Amino acid sequence: MARFHTLYTAIVLEGPIERGLHPTPLPRIRGPLPIIHSRLFGRIGETQIGPIRLGYDGLLSVFCGFIAIEIIGLNMWASVGWNPLRFIKLLPFLALDPPPARYGLQIFPPLHEGGWWLMAGFFLTAAIFAWWFRLYRLARADELGTHIPWCFASAIWLYLVLGFIRPILMGSWSEAVPFGIVPHLNWTATFSVRYGNLFYNPFHMLSITFLYGSAVLFGMHGGTILAVTKFGGDRETHEIAHRGTAAERASLFWRWTMGFNASYESIHRWAWWFATLTTLTGGIGILITGTVVDDWYLWGVKHGFAPQYPSIYRDLPPEPKEAIDVKKPFIVVPR
Amino acid sequence: MKWSTAAVFAGVGVAGILAIIVPDWHRPGYSEQQTAFRGQNNVQFYTRAEASPINTVIPAVLPAAAEDGPKATEVYKNVKVLTDVNAAEFMRLQQALTNWVSPKQGCAFCHNTQDWASDEKRTKLVARRMLEMTRYVNSAWGGHVNPTGVTCYTCHRGQPVPAEVWWPRVLPEQKKFLDKFEPWEEGAPTVTRFFPNAGFDEYYLQDNPVAVVSKTALRSNDVGSYPVAVRVYEMMMQMSLQIGVNCGYCHASRAFQDWNQSTPMRWVGYYSLRLIRDLNRNYLLPLSTVMPQQRELVHPTPVPVIPINERGQQPGNALLTCETCHYRLPNPMNGVNMVKDYPGLVGHDGPAKGWDDSGSSAANQKRMEEAQALLGPGDPNPNGKPIGAAE
Repeated sequence: MARFHTLYTAIVLEGPIERGLHPTPLPRIRGPLPIIHSRLFGRIGETQIGPIRLGYDGLLSVFCGFIAIEIIGLNMWASVGWNPLRFIKLLPFLALDPPPARYGLQIFPPLHEGGWWLMAGFFLTAAIFAWWFRLYRLARADELGTHIPWCFASAIWLYLVLGFIRPILMGSWSEAVPFGIVPHLNWTATFSVRYGNLFYNPFHMLSITFLYGSAVLFGMHGGTILAVTKFGGDRETHEIAHRGTAAERASLFWRWTMGFNASYESIHRWAWWFATLTTLTGGIGILITGTVVDDWYLWGVKHGFAPQYPSIYRDLPPEPKEAIDVKKPFIVVPR
Repeated sequence: MKWSTAAVFAGVGVAGILAIIVPDWHRPGYSEQQTAFRGQNNVQFYTRAEASPINTVIPAVLPAAAEDGPKATEVYKNVKVLTDVNAAEFMRLQQALTNWVSPKQGCAFCHNTQDWASDEKRTKLVARRMLEMTRYVNSAWGGHVNPTGVTCYTCHRGQPVPAEVWWPRVLPEQKKFLDKFEPWEEGAPTVTRFFPNAGFDEYYLQDNPVAVVSKTALRSNDVGSYPVAVRVYEMMMQMSLQIGVNCGYCHASRAFQDWNQSTPMRWVGYYSLRLIRDLNRNYLLPLSTVMPQQRELVHPTPVPVIPINERGQQPGNALLTCETCHYRLPNPMNGVNMVKDYPGLVGHDGPAKGWDDSGSSAANQKRMEEAQALLGPGDPNPNGKPIGAAE
């Protein structure tokens, strides 16, 4: 029976270089890095490092991603006057903002007013699409199903809604998310307040449900498999047809606990669908915010699920008249 | 277990223990105040640590002056503002405001000591205008400032320029292609001063409506765009920092925009924005023609992490924020009324233009207290009143 040898992984396997089950027609990048075994990586996974199959799509992805990161990083660095100390100190706050509202959907606004943002967005999107294509081709080359690229496509959907589809529907790039650590968080907070509390958006609710559900499923599944590892549960598919194995014990545990157990196949469908639906529903929720629904709280009241609480204040004054006058032009003082 | 594994566990354990015992932990005393019906988590926390000396050291009242005697205008030349007090009270007030504003510089900060009536010093012109402003605030905006009232000390606290003001910033030149400077004040000692004061331009100086959330469930095109919402958000966060409260002091965070779910203090805040605009536009901005100022920027010695445009001196004039008076307390100076001892600080103006009694601080504070009483002892309000009320 196996015992724990390391902190993270029960057994570190080390042997001859694994060349793969069958030769594939896809070229692999071997050099200049040799294929090696690493004890360090063995503690968190397989010991073998390489080979990587980068391919033209992979190269394109890395290249476009590099350009996008360069544009974002250099703009941030420029915004602190090329001072490296200020760059490090202020990095969490630095931003590359989309064009101001007055440029609408112009494709070539001035570079310092969102032009760079559009360019960074273009290259980042190109990198992501090339990476998706790479995932798809590798899955097919390995004769796998294409579940992983489609799950990734769901995340791309949310990304495109935030930065591309919704801004187009709203008629302005200024609606998109800025690049930056704190700035994109600020965007999120403001977006929720601006549209009357995003928590009342049913698709936001669904997305959160799937997100938290993913964490619960991950915890249950990871915990189950680790718990039966001492019976060989890490070799799960060998065992599902036999009695008294780790697989049966794991199933029994959950049937004892909640009367029902997922099968060794269905648990992975649960996890895949929860992960995929998180961003799928999230994207729908963002897409209809501002384009269809302007105030999610009032929408919740209208459809009877946002509860009314009694006010604890008697005789509140009437609403100030000026508060509803929002037609005045918004002036920006030149600084 | 191998000795190396044991060593790793021991190392992690020791690091964990150090992480607990090394930092200087302290639990600030705080009081809570529930500001909405239970179940919404609308609770205010007031930290006692915020009762710093600047808020608790109150100057002694000067001995009362004789109640009769000739008017100041009859005894002194060139008296233009304090025309309604007698000569003794006039001198007493002069002494008090020297103590409040220029205790180190003394009378000569504003006066030519050879010719006291002379207007040759620009500081005197500014002081006269500031005196007019104080009298205007205490009468026209009495609904906001009473019963505490405003004296020179409310803002100045013994310094010629109050500690908490904002300066319209001079930004570095915008380069054609790349440089996009953020309007941050990177050497700022407080978060309030760090973040862009762009929201100050639009809402503390100009009459922009602070409304970004739609009044209809479905799309109606009647609200500000996202960039406007960002400015409002920044300004609101600044405002809550400046008066030492969080969002729930005025709003129900589940529906910020809904007046029916707001607390009475939102009316006070609403009219306080008009007050700030009034004073900034009519009193402080015009001072830039009387006495353009230079301010020493944050760091006298060049520090590499402070941008060049924030070193040295900057021209311009200081404008007000909520913090200029409030110093991070909902009730400035914990509500100590200094005006009652100096009748010359109250003018004779009627309510300011656009003022509505629903913004009255006293009335709305009473509404807050009534609600607190209604909540009863079963609700989570164990420590009673906010720090601004009384300790």
